Amino acid sequence: MDILSAGSSSSFKIKMGSGPKRFREYLLSRPVGLTFFFMLTLSIVFAGEETSAAEKITIGEVEEVILLPWRVKLPARIDTGAATSSLDARELKVKNNIAEFKLPKKYGGALLRLPVTDWTHVRGADFKERRPVVEITLCMGPILIHTQVTLNDRSTVRYPLIIGRNVLKDNFVVDCTASNCFPPSCPEVPSQ
Amino acid sequence: MDWILISTFAILSLLVPGTIYADEKIVIGGIEEVILLPWGVRLPARIDTGAAKSSLDAQDLKVQDEMVEFKLPKKHGGLKLRLPIIEWRHVRTPEGLEPRPIVELEICLGSRRIRTEVNLADRSMVKYPLILGRNFLKENYIVDVKRRKTAPPNCPEIP
Repeated sequence: MDILSAGSSSSFKIKMGSGPKRFREYLLSRPVGLTFFFMLTLSIVFAGEETSAAEKITIGEVEEVILLPWRVKLPARIDTGAATSSLDARELKVKNNIAEFKLPKKYGGALLRLPVTDWTHVRGADFKERRPVVEITLCMGPILIHTQVTLNDRSTVRYPLIIGRNVLKDNFVVDCTASNCFPPSCPEVPSQ
Repeated sequence: MDWILISTFAILSLLVPGTIYADEKIVIGGIEEVILLPWGVRLPARIDTGAAKSSLDAQDLKVQDEMVEFKLPKKHGGLKLRLPIIEWRHVRTPEGLEPRPIVELEICLGSRRIRTEVNLADRSMVKYPLILGRNFLKENYIVDVKRRKTAPPNCPEIP
């Protein structure tokens, strides 16, 4: 892009001579000039968009993340089909708006106590449920993420954590040909 | 006449970004429109990295020997299809394992025609009639859920 715009502006100077009046005359008399400027502006805008997409972090279909402040490593399923994220919570109890649960034994079985920030209503083919939502901090790839997760018993499913679109939207793109392509490496988390 | 050259470059530079990524991977959004071939039916599809296999909403599903007959959802034309069953597979759902017939479909997404296996299930509870799962996304797609309908179907052979 840089080479193109530099080259085109120099060739423009040669053709147009100097002075704003002649410049304007040129633009008005020749619709091609207008079209060219329009194209140039558009291509700059599009190129900008492309850069921002490329800056997103590419992750695979499964990634390891670190749950903070407990520093528990969990494998997470990266799920563009899920609107929100969810965490496997065993022996879940809610008292006075505080959710108390254990992480699966396989991942240390730590007992966590977190304030409930919301409730979600889940409806399946033959069940209806109300699930508590808590806020957690995760290190995923190079960044720390504060996000809401729904708590439920996921013992029937392979991964203890589902990362849904609420987390992926702003910083990540998902490449399904890979997994574990970005191990957690947040500067805020001391050597893992 | 170097403006011809310049505008050609400008147009080319418009076409290049957006769709093609490093390694020829194609970036698609969380929702994409696809065309079901050879019937030319347009369907919105949820791009779902959480699903191992793709799946299609099949209503009034009937199995006869090695063939399966079903209707697409009314909202999307309700076309009746009859396809050979490739195999039966147990699919993990939130409600447990469920045997589902697998068929092969050809779809057009962006400028590519792709043959892919989908399982058939009554998905009338769900918003999108087609889920494209990881078996499909392995064809070099990258998902950016911030985007939607970024690759409208335009396969050259389809009118």
